[in-house]
Amino acid sequence: MGRDWDPVVRLVLGGIADRLNLGFEELDDLQLAVERLLLEARSQDSVRLSFELSDHGVRTRIGPLRGEALADALQGPPPPPGELTLRRILETVVDSFGVEGVEADGSLVVRLEKIVRGV
Amino acid sequence: MPGAPTPAMTDRQLLRRYHVDGDAGARELLVERHLPLVRSLARRYAGRGESLEDIEQVGAIGLIKAIDRYELERQVALTTYATPNVVGEIKRHFRDKGWAIRIPRGLQELNAKMSSTIERLTGQLGRSPSIAEIAMELDASPEQVLEAMEAGSAYSPMSLNAATGDDGDLDPMETIGTEDVEFERSEQRASLEPALQTLPTREREILRMRFEEGMTQTQIAEQVGVSQMHVSRLIRKSLTRMRSELS
Repeated sequence: MGRDWDPVVRLVLGGIADRLNLGFEELDDLQLAVERLLLEARSQDSVRLSFELSDHGVRTRIGPLRGEALADALQGPPPPPGELTLRRILETVVDSFGVEGVEADGSLVVRLEKIVRGV
Repeated sequence: MPGAPTPAMTDRQLLRRYHVDGDAGARELLVERHLPLVRSLARRYAGRGESLEDIEQVGAIGLIKAIDRYELERQVALTTYATPNVVGEIKRHFRDKGWAIRIPRGLQELNAKMSSTIERLTGQLGRSPSIAEIAMELDASPEQVLEAMEAGSAYSPMSLNAATGDDGDLDPMETIGTEDVEFERSEQRASLEPALQTLPTREREILRMRFEEGMTQTQIAEQVGVSQMHVSRLIRKSLTRMRSELS
């Protein structure tokens, strides 16, 4: 899945944000989180993106994602203060994230959660 | 070296100070003095799918180039020499780095209104507006707003901090003014990645505010003096640049 799919992903996220009444910044945060994950993952044929909506927000699952940098960022120790890593970006732009599953080849399924705040 | 340049000096005196004595302060004064000219020229190109502040920054690069390339032997006023440089820079920006794909004019216009609308609504609501609220304000559908936002992504604005070509990788805007003291302190506090150091000061500061201090885009926009959408674009551009530096 190449970067030419980014606009499609952003539009889908935009549609979901609209239904959930997410603020513009929250949408932008979620888009950034997904974009960074896709970018860090090594190029691969297919990626599954799913959304679970609730009154509280949206849970996004994305995977399988390959890439050592990705595994380090999500499963390694926290980065030292001041270092701008994928982990720090995700900590800033989503309310929680984590590895939901590891496939046989080591690929990860990543979970991102964004809470709806009083719009 | 003679004393510090003063606003009372003529353009010619300041140009001499800059080109002969290498006085960067004189260059800074010239830039400040002629920014109104840049703003005036930039306004002519407003409403073409890009924010006025972006166009002004592109124009400012043209002004800096004009000051740098001015030859003292020329018997022409700096404003006369700078005008085609500023206009040329803006035109080049639109021609070379314009809409990467063909975007319907309606969407371009909607995108151009979006930034100021988001600013206004954020001020009114005290929070980031939703897509529906932006759509209502623009008298458009949420789908049109999302498409227009995406159209903005299709637009690949020239890096406003792109190298001038003469100064290596130096950000032209960075050569004006002095480093922010607060930023220097924060630099000492944090051991930032080497890739971060390749970014211009303003971009580094924006990343620090967002990812170290946890400031929102709206707060950063207020502090830096650019729009929220511009902050969003700068963050993406900076992260992409950092990543390419690392790889």
